[in-house]
Amino acid sequence: MSIEVSGVNKRYGDFVALEDINLTIPTGQLTALLGPSGGGKTTLLRVIAGLETPDSGSVVIEGKDATSLPVQKRNVGFVFQHYAAFKHLSVAKNVAFGLEIRKRPRAEIAAKVEELLELVHLSQFANRLPSQLSGGQRQRMALARALAIEPSVLLLDEPFGALDAKVRKELRDWLRRLHDEVHVTTVFVTHDQEEALEVADEIVVVNQGGIEQIGTPEQLYDEPANDFVMSFLGDVTTLGGALIRPHDVEVTPSPISEHSLEGTVSRVLRIGFEVRLTVLTDDGEVVTAELTRTHARALQLEEGVNVFVTPSPGAYTMPAPSPAA
Amino acid sequence: MAETRRAPRTPLTYVLRLVVIAYLGLLVAWPVVLVAWNAFHVPDVGFTTEAFAGIFGDPQMMHAIQLTCMAAVVATLINLVFGVSISLLLVRTEFPGKRVLSALIDLPLSVSPIVVGLALVLVYGGRDGWFGPTLESAGIQVIFATPGIIMATAFVSLPLVIREVIPVLEEIGTEQEQAAASLGASSWQTFWRITLPGIKWAVIYGVVLTLARSLGEFGAVKVVSGNVLGQTRTATLAVEEKYLNFDQQGAYAVAFLLASVSVICILVVFVLRARGARVR
Ligand SMILES: Nc1ncnc2c1ncn2[C@@H]1O[C@H](COP(=O)(O)OP(=O)(O)OP(=O)(O)O)[C@@H](O)[C@H]1O
Ligand SMILES: [Mg+2]
Repeated sequence: MSIEVSGVNKRYGDFVALEDINLTIPTGQLTALLGPSGGGKTTLLRVIAGLETPDSGSVVIEGKDATSLPVQKRNVGFVFQHYAAFKHLSVAKNVAFGLEIRKRPRAEIAAKVEELLELVHLSQFANRLPSQLSGGQRQRMALARALAIEPSVLLLDEPFGALDAKVRKELRDWLRRLHDEVHVTTVFVTHDQEEALEVADEIVVVNQGGIEQIGTPEQLYDEPANDFVMSFLGDVTTLGGALIRPHDVEVTPSPISEHSLEGTVSRVLRIGFEVRLTVLTDDGEVVTAELTRTHARALQLEEGVNVFVTPSPGAYTMPAPSPAA
Repeated sequence: MAETRRAPRTPLTYVLRLVVIAYLGLLVAWPVVLVAWNAFHVPDVGFTTEAFAGIFGDPQMMHAIQLTCMAAVVATLINLVFGVSISLLLVRTEFPGKRVLSALIDLPLSVSPIVVGLALVLVYGGRDGWFGPTLESAGIQVIFATPGIIMATAFVSLPLVIREVIPVLEEIGTEQEQAAASLGASSWQTFWRITLPGIKWAVIYGVVLTLARSLGEFGAVKVVSGNVLGQTRTATLAVEEKYLNFDQQGAYAVAFLLASVSVICILVVFVLRARGARVR
């Protein structure tokens, strides 16, 4: 086990930022810390890195108790959301920084820097200053800089948060491929569930200073531990008092089981290849359903049409939280 | 008034410009030019560099100039080290009394240098100062000696480095320093390799301004130095002395030298600022 966090608490004044966090991150995996803003993801990552001291609890990295080790001694690579590029140093010098601190021989540093710049596709920018790079390039430089020290774990705080959607997606795929190549235990913070589901081997859902669930993307999506995880990882709607994903709602002109509920289509929204229906059941429940365009056309769905909504066989449902929650 | 459009040129515009030019001219430019003029020009004789020859030929004058330069350089070095340390302390750490310290730093700018001089005498005065006799018995004379001159000079120019460095430290933030630490750099390595290069320009401006201010210090130095010819008389004190002794030409010549150094300092800052702006 590469990182073991046990019983970590952290307060800022009266505010509880982390409460009794217990977490084990396996070696060589890509783990995502996923959760809403202000949930404590950054705080947890900084505690692991040693940039923040927990009030209680311990952090073990690669079997070594790191709780009282300063950040310099933990040998972690940390990538900041806003790159934290050394503005007065060239790209190559940025990447070489950790190696120069470690007083490696000059030739070794040069070779390592070249290899890393190659890896992050920045070889031709070696002599530029960070201010002459794009956001995505700066982030790759920051990644190369962190990898240079051959860290036991690589920690990334919303690495692609400040980039536009397209670059974000590219870098995300690239990070996955890079990880498959380098195999360093990696933890990255994100509040984008799509990013986490697509890239991570394992996802840790963090909310209000606590961990809601830990699991693979499939486990989290298919068997969410609670309604928070279920609604955070994708769209949800209620049907017959249960939470269900809109694509698991079947819409038919006549009842197909004893669970079918009758209602009228109150809204039809076409988004690309899919159609999102809002159905008002006769019991007064508002149900959202997603179906393909072709399917919707075959059913001749329009506003005001009478339909039956039924949970698909095998669909995952859970009791809806009481309205107070 | 939020519009960026320029106001139309009315007669008032021209009147305002005239007022500003006249104000700066009468108050600053013309008097300074006259000092230069009088340093080189003697009525009934015409242009001459005689006064300068007199100064450079006078060992006691040379001593005064050397003393001023030495005190200014040492005071600047002291304020460089303490200024950067205090700035780091104020920006990067939290401690009780921080606001009070921050306010205290501006004191030297608002208090008359004469008061600074008197205060130093009260503390370090050799005969009845608070701390002076103790130092004196240890063989260290502060007041009426070079250490006092350096202290007075350092006191009056204390805020200049700090006020340049603090805003820049605040602006660059701590992320780069944290990144350096995560890459294994000790605090000392982080300071030399990351923080200092980040505040380099601010430190340079601060040093140049401190140097210019230190060279021209008069009031505080007058009180603590004792103004002993050939020993503790500085260049500014010599200007006064010459002026009072009707050696006006000599006074103008020394004043011209002092003013030249300050003007050069201002030019250096001007050029550096332009360069710094381009680099950033
Ligand atoms: N230095 C601090 N002082 C006081 N409160 C803080 C401090 N740092 C974080 N907090 C609080 O702790 C909580 C968790 O913060 P954290 O930065 O870990 O959230 P996050 O999950 O990373 O959120 P985001 O996705 O917005 O980055 C927040 O409510 C924040 O206001
Ligand atoms: Mg965060």
